[in-house]
Amino acid sequence: MTVEEIAILGEAERALLARVADHLIPAAHGMPSAAEVLTDDRLRFVFGARPDLVERVRTALAAGLADDPAQRVARLAADDPAALGALQLAIVAGYYTDKRVRELIGYPGQEAITIRSWEVPSYIEDGLIDRVLARGPVWRDPATGERAVVANAPRTYAERFAEAARGPGGADDGHDGA
Amino acid sequence: MATDPADVLIIGAGASGGVVALRLASAGFKVVCLEQGEWLDRADYPGNKLDWELKARKDWATSPNIRGLPSDYPIVEDDTPVSPLMYNAVGGSTIIFAGAWPRALPSDFRVRSLDGIADDWPIDYFELLPYFYRTDRQFGISGLPGDPAYPPDAEDAPMPPLPIGRAGLKVAKGMDKLGWHWWPEFNSINSVAYDGRRPCVQRSTCQSGCNEGAKASTDLTHWPKAIGLGAKLITGARVSRIETNEQGLATGATWIDQDGAEHLQPARVVVLAANAIGTPRLLLLSGRAGNPDGLANSSGLVGKRLMMHPFANVAGLFEDPLMSWAGQFGDLIESLEFYETDEKRGFVRGARWGLAPTGGPINTALPSRAGEQAWGPEHHTHVKTHLGHGANWGLFAEDLPDEANRVVLSGSVTDSSGIPAPEIHYTMADNARRMLDFHIERATESMEAAGAYKIEVDRLMRYSGWHLLGTARMGDDPKTSVVDRWNRSHDVPNLYVVDGSCFVTSSGVNPTSTIVSIALRAADHMVETRFEQQVPA
Repeated sequence: MTVEEIAILGEAERALLARVADHLIPAAHGMPSAAEVLTDDRLRFVFGARPDLVERVRTALAAGLADDPAQRVARLAADDPAALGALQLAIVAGYYTDKRVRELIGYPGQEAITIRSWEVPSYIEDGLIDRVLARGPVWRDPATGERAVVANAPRTYAERFAEAARGPGGADDGHDGA
Repeated sequence: MATDPADVLIIGAGASGGVVALRLASAGFKVVCLEQGEWLDRADYPGNKLDWELKARKDWATSPNIRGLPSDYPIVEDDTPVSPLMYNAVGGSTIIFAGAWPRALPSDFRVRSLDGIADDWPIDYFELLPYFYRTDRQFGISGLPGDPAYPPDAEDAPMPPLPIGRAGLKVAKGMDKLGWHWWPEFNSINSVAYDGRRPCVQRSTCQSGCNEGAKASTDLTHWPKAIGLGAKLITGARVSRIETNEQGLATGATWIDQDGAEHLQPARVVVLAANAIGTPRLLLLSGRAGNPDGLANSSGLVGKRLMMHPFANVAGLFEDPLMSWAGQFGDLIESLEFYETDEKRGFVRGARWGLAPTGGPINTALPSRAGEQAWGPEHHTHVKTHLGHGANWGLFAEDLPDEANRVVLSGSVTDSSGIPAPEIHYTMADNARRMLDFHIERATESMEAAGAYKIEVDRLMRYSGWHLLGTARMGDDPKTSVVDRWNRSHDVPNLYVVDGSCFVTSSGVNPTSTIVSIALRAADHMVETRFEQQVPA
């Protein structure tokens, strides 16, 4: 079965795929069923991205196993989990790459979000980070084997920031960027 | 036509290979690198495309055995509960690593002295500190200065921190209630434009390559500069053995191209940067006159003491929408509260926690890491309550060295060039099991304190062998170590190992920052001792 052949899947295979899809993801809670969503276009998309799935999906849909979708899934889980995994992935991927389904679950995709790096994070403004600093060093000093004691360690982020501003402005180890 | 010898031949164009190539090329060395993978085009990375989650499970899987790409070699992993992960391309595993950038801690270099187990390193944290600063600049690190889990720094991260997101803030507040350490994670991911690369756009697809070039990978951060300085990088070049002469010096390497033709690259110095699976594999393949002990192995330790950081995952589910499909996959926040030894816990050493985003809808809908699955009408409830509502603590347990955990050559499996595949034998130690169990309990308490209404645990994740370490350890004594404190082989004075193979102990943190800092230190030493370096006539 190639990607191009999806559209001409045997009627029985396509019907079985729809029954298994609806068994796994039925219409409920305002969501459509997987069979409703899994058009030939969606399946072509899935197998176009993952041609390695085709043969295992075909195995999972082979005649001779149980026609009842629940029984077929149970048989595959016991006898051929790789084929079941491929079938589940194909159904789930076809379903959750559908635009309407994504809208219904409130998922915008892996969209680009601009970082607002000039804004002071709330964990600094609200003093959350100060409470971490106030508890003091966490690292273990190899010279003593105990939690380190750092003289004059900043106890707030404002102190740390002020100290850094007064400092030498970064270590110079005598080397350039290379 | 004979090939001119390189001053230095580097095998592997990943993290450590890139660092060494740039340093040596900038010092005027004639550098040649052999890389079995290819240059990748980040426009092809799937992270900004609809089929991302599909491809992340095959061509962009972190396991070479799942990918099975022409550039990959198979790894026999029937005798390990943890699968080694890597990527073969220019940039190596930095192409798919998460980008988390913690340093090893001071105590990590003194495990024997402090805890009476394993070994001390011949070097220490403070000796590495200048190299941490330099590699932070080279790779481009974002982070909030002042983390009290580390000694005070003289130099801040070059970029401000990345956002910790709603999930990071939620869990940080839980840690605050408990009085436990947390800190915004240091990541090798740009928070602002840096060194000609764009800032992160929070897609959370770092492990499928970064479309923006915001995550540091050496195909972007090092190789173009090294090549600009004269380094020669040969891709599609699979090394089959390191060649040596009668005097026991390395003379170069034999490699096989994609058409199966064999080539010899002569060199005055050879540097192995092929990771802690690939490097011992090559050393074991390179024994003179078929010596099965391989090359540089008078200690008998080549391939032994493999460490991979056993990894558990504690996922909290929250009522609030957290949009936790977004954010750097490096890490949002970390905790080192329980990193150091407390023998009352019933084990020595500790683990680092890193809080990560939770993935997209396909990942959510399929059976979880913890084995949970939901089909039928409740499938929809499952997806709606999980997608964007979770936060994952990843727990990296320090793995102590054990000679029984090892890489050997397979007697039956080869790669597509006919070279024997590496075979892994690895058992998780009881100490690490007890450690992970303790940390799972504490991380569960952290999620509860943060308000999670449900917590799901994966007690040992199979596909978690990101951190490959220890198979050609560093040390002062040639009887008990493979390379010296400068990463030079005790046995072959013009052979260096600069990848994670050199680790004496594993620490409990993501190792890339430490690996590349050690590699840069080794490269500096090569430059400083260039006129004393023994080379073949």
